[in-house]
Amino acid sequence: MSALLAILMYATPLVLAALGETVVQKAGVIHIGIEGTMLAGAFFGVMATLATGSPWVGLGVGVLVGMALALLSGVFALGLSVDQVVVGTAVNLFALGLTRTLFAMRFGASGELLSVPKVPSWQGIDVVMVLAVALAASTHWLLFRTSWGLALRSAGEMPQATEAAGFSVSVIRYAALAFGGATAGLGGAYLSLGIAGSFADNMTAGRGFLAIAMVTFGRWKPGLVLGACLLLGWLDGLQFTFQAKGVELPFQLFLALPYMAALLVLAGVGRGAHAPAALAVPFRRSR
Amino acid sequence: MHPLIAVRGLSKRFGPVQALRNVSVAFEAGEIHAILGENGAGKSTLANVLAGFLLPDAGRIEFEGATVPLGDPLAIRARGVAMVHQHFMLVPEFTVAENLALAQIPRGFAALDPLERASPSLEMAERLGWSLDPSARTGDLPVGVQQRIEILKALGEKRRLLILDEPTAVLGGEEVEELFRVLRDLRDKGLAILLIAHKLREVMAVADRATVLRRGEVVATALVADLDEATLAEWMVGDVPAPPVRTKGSAPTAFEGLRLVGLHVAGDRGEPAVVDLSLDVPKGGIVGIGGVDGNGQVELAEAIVGIRPWTGEVSWVPQGVPQVAYVPQSRQRDGLALKMSVLDNLAIEGHQRPDLRLGPLLRLREMARWGGELVARYAIKVGSIDDPVGSLSGGNQQKVVVARELDRKPDLIVAVNPTRGLDVRAARFVHDQLSQARDRGAAVLLVSTDLDELVALADQAYFLLGGRLRVADGAEAMVGGAA
Amino acid sequence: MRKALLPAVGALLGLTVALVLTLVAFGLPLADSLRLIWDGSLGSPGGLMRTAVKATPLMLMGLGMAVAWRAGMYNIGGEGQFLAGALGGAAAAKVLTAVPVLLSKPLVFVSGFVWGGVFALVAAWLLVKRGVNVVISTILLNFVAIQMFEWALTGPLQEAKGRTPQTDRLPEALMLHRFDRQNDLHSGVLIALVAVMVVYAILFLTPLGFRIRLSGENPRAARASRIPPSRYQLIAMAMSGGLCGLAATVELLGITGQLAKGFNQQLGFIAIPVALLGNLHPLGVGLSAVYFGGLFAGSENLARFSNFGTTVMFVIQGAAVLAYVGVRTVLERRQVEGAEVET
Repeated sequence: MSALLAILMYATPLVLAALGETVVQKAGVIHIGIEGTMLAGAFFGVMATLATGSPWVGLGVGVLVGMALALLSGVFALGLSVDQVVVGTAVNLFALGLTRTLFAMRFGASGELLSVPKVPSWQGIDVVMVLAVALAASTHWLLFRTSWGLALRSAGEMPQATEAAGFSVSVIRYAALAFGGATAGLGGAYLSLGIAGSFADNMTAGRGFLAIAMVTFGRWKPGLVLGACLLLGWLDGLQFTFQAKGVELPFQLFLALPYMAALLVLAGVGRGAHAPAALAVPFRRSR
Repeated sequence: MHPLIAVRGLSKRFGPVQALRNVSVAFEAGEIHAILGENGAGKSTLANVLAGFLLPDAGRIEFEGATVPLGDPLAIRARGVAMVHQHFMLVPEFTVAENLALAQIPRGFAALDPLERASPSLEMAERLGWSLDPSARTGDLPVGVQQRIEILKALGEKRRLLILDEPTAVLGGEEVEELFRVLRDLRDKGLAILLIAHKLREVMAVADRATVLRRGEVVATALVADLDEATLAEWMVGDVPAPPVRTKGSAPTAFEGLRLVGLHVAGDRGEPAVVDLSLDVPKGGIVGIGGVDGNGQVELAEAIVGIRPWTGEVSWVPQGVPQVAYVPQSRQRDGLALKMSVLDNLAIEGHQRPDLRLGPLLRLREMARWGGELVARYAIKVGSIDDPVGSLSGGNQQKVVVARELDRKPDLIVAVNPTRGLDVRAARFVHDQLSQARDRGAAVLLVSTDLDELVALADQAYFLLGGRLRVADGAEAMVGGAA
Repeated sequence: MRKALLPAVGALLGLTVALVLTLVAFGLPLADSLRLIWDGSLGSPGGLMRTAVKATPLMLMGLGMAVAWRAGMYNIGGEGQFLAGALGGAAAAKVLTAVPVLLSKPLVFVSGFVWGGVFALVAAWLLVKRGVNVVISTILLNFVAIQMFEWALTGPLQEAKGRTPQTDRLPEALMLHRFDRQNDLHSGVLIALVAVMVVYAILFLTPLGFRIRLSGENPRAARASRIPPSRYQLIAMAMSGGLCGLAATVELLGITGQLAKGFNQQLGFIAIPVALLGNLHPLGVGLSAVYFGGLFAGSENLARFSNFGTTVMFVIQGAAVLAYVGVRTVLERRQVEGAEVET
């Protein structure tokens, strides 16, 4: 039981970010910038907690920072139709540089040992973990069982039909980005405030990209995305179990399996693996 | 008593083209009213203005006598006007129920079961005698069924006027009959139906009243019962002579040129786009292919130039491989790389010329000189040859394509709607170039939806309907009447 | 050519403004900081050498990104292709120990290029044959490469001692010539400069390059002119991955002499702004690589005297890329909007 909870805890940042990215991609936007968004959430979450002493404030600041970065991306990617990959890359670099520099300036180049109050947990369960699981169910409901979800999915498949039905594709995509930014920021803040109780340089270590990979592996379905993240967490944990038992196995190849599987899924081995048809395609209203 | 909806004095201009000129028409409830005209006559523009998708330059719309705000699709929809587009606004990945639900979802946030939301539409489908599987993936359904979904989307609750833009263009014979049955049914229930059409036979079969447009102007409005096909055809095309089915005066010589025998071509979705087509395009002749967009013209052209797979026989008689020039239908989509320079766009041809290459390298200086010559010879208006081609006017963009393609000294020219969207002078330029190429001995296949263009240029004319070739031997046939 | 370079020069000037603003924003003494950065980069012989060393992999990988992006392939798998190339180089070096250096050294480079190229081809193939988005496939392949790399370091390529996950140090004879021991200046710099010229020649002086660019700008137009865009996208992607692999091999033979964790230094991601700010033009990429190499070297010097690390570069890169693409998009839109829009 506690082992399962540990898997869930370590997977929670990934789950949050991946579920947000699922919504973003379903609306037709690929947001590469969630790597940087998570990192910024982690850093500013810690800073806010240091200032106020409350990890809850830290989590909230993480959410806000994530939304701010997402809206910044939106201005370029949606407003100006700049390529979404370029925007995301810029956001990642910006966040990486900003957090590193501020961290070094505040705590020295080496980074003194930093410790902040963690999010309180009960029997290994905390609020954010519960939220992550609940979010899988609620995003599924939101996407497939509500009016907004229907409109949002149509914007990711065929934006002309969305507009014909009387919705603004632009508003939908901004809203999706804000949601994805909020969850990525929260995921990042949880990484520093829920798991580590500290901040370290580049502590997300590719989790944002991993989240994008998990969205693909989970075929853009919130339940499967959650499953994919937990599977990855389990495989990751297995590595240490085996090492502890002294079993000699080429673990890295084992760890590469989910990504290869995702590639195979995408290559059409399984049907129904379609990415949203309008993914990464800017939409401009014709007049 | 006011008509249900009426347009008064509408005018609309697109660049050099006057799409509508002082158009007034009234539509009555319980009537199928056909708007008839050739391609480019202004039918779709009228429909789009009426549905609020386009803002006219002048004129107004009245609904039961009261003026309606223009260019506001929601305001017009609120009055019960809905339009079925020729290109479906359906999400292929969605189920039938989801597509139906999308058309009727409330503005705000609400929990929603697509099936439940779609159920009025599904009931409507049942009343109309259509069986629909609400859980089927829309993209997997035949085009005719997709159109039914589109019509159901438009029908909604309090519909007063239903606009259908060329609904039969994509349908087979039986599907057309089925559609007409439903349209009559809806009319009898009191709906006004605006049917945009170009086929006389269909108008005669289903419409109660017809308005004919030509070059953006209303020629006449009349009850169909008082009309015959010949009168309608004359209204549509004016006094153009029948296109010459002319063979050149000299004694029959052995055929030389492009020969197609039993050609089959599949469309993008794998549907048969061109069916068992046989055609000779002689050297020194222009063969015209008319007909409405979407009847296999583009697929035919792409198959001939070799960028779309086909089965059957395509051969150059007597032998050899012809040098082919291709003027695609959409210059911006298929003809040009808009961000690249004028020279680069010319170089799409130029970089293949042996005299502009040196071993593995391009001779850039020679290429610039060659490009400059083309720009001068074809009188392309550019600031600098290094400007992006996207900064040129439409006519000059098309000149870039034509210059590049004709510079190949082609044996065979395939041109699809080469003057669409051009002003008169630019269009005449393109026509002259094609005639000159013909006179030099090239075989020319001119695919055009513009009847005047075919009449002016073609030595022989056919038209394509549902991927099959039909002989055009008079104005009626050209607009799809008698055949 | 001047037309292609001007935007790059403009971008670099803008970057300098961004640098100044960043320093001010972080509250650093402006004059002193700039002097330290200048001394550490272009302002001293040692700094110049460090700049060249830092610019070398950026240049090669920036070129790789430029080639792929020119063809419309949004390759963000530079990281994975770099690691694949590193493995290719190291594997060749290990296999070819018995072969004379004169022969084995070029083969090591070829192997690095080929491994990087083949790895990139996987993503290209998935797009061309299966329609898989290149962004997503290259992200996934980055993770595959990282795992492959770590596996190789604990498995087939691990040092003879078998203690640490790293390869054995390469024999000195196989290493690139070093002009300067202290600053690590090695002959790989020349490889990068040659690569700039070669990629420029291919892209702008040959029919192949023309077709690559056309396939990226408008694949439909290429197809209508009977130029199959997918073929040129495959070729561009192979070149792109190859250049990343070459960059890794140069780093291996020029500096580290062995592979260990952290070998990639996130070069795959830094290379994207290098390429973008170089206007995806080989000469522009060369220039912007030197600029960022200088900034890297200069901020190393700055870091010696303050808490302000080399990370300043990322902030500047991120801000500059957004500003640059934003301004360019607005300008382009204005230019095209004057012209006809097809109905």
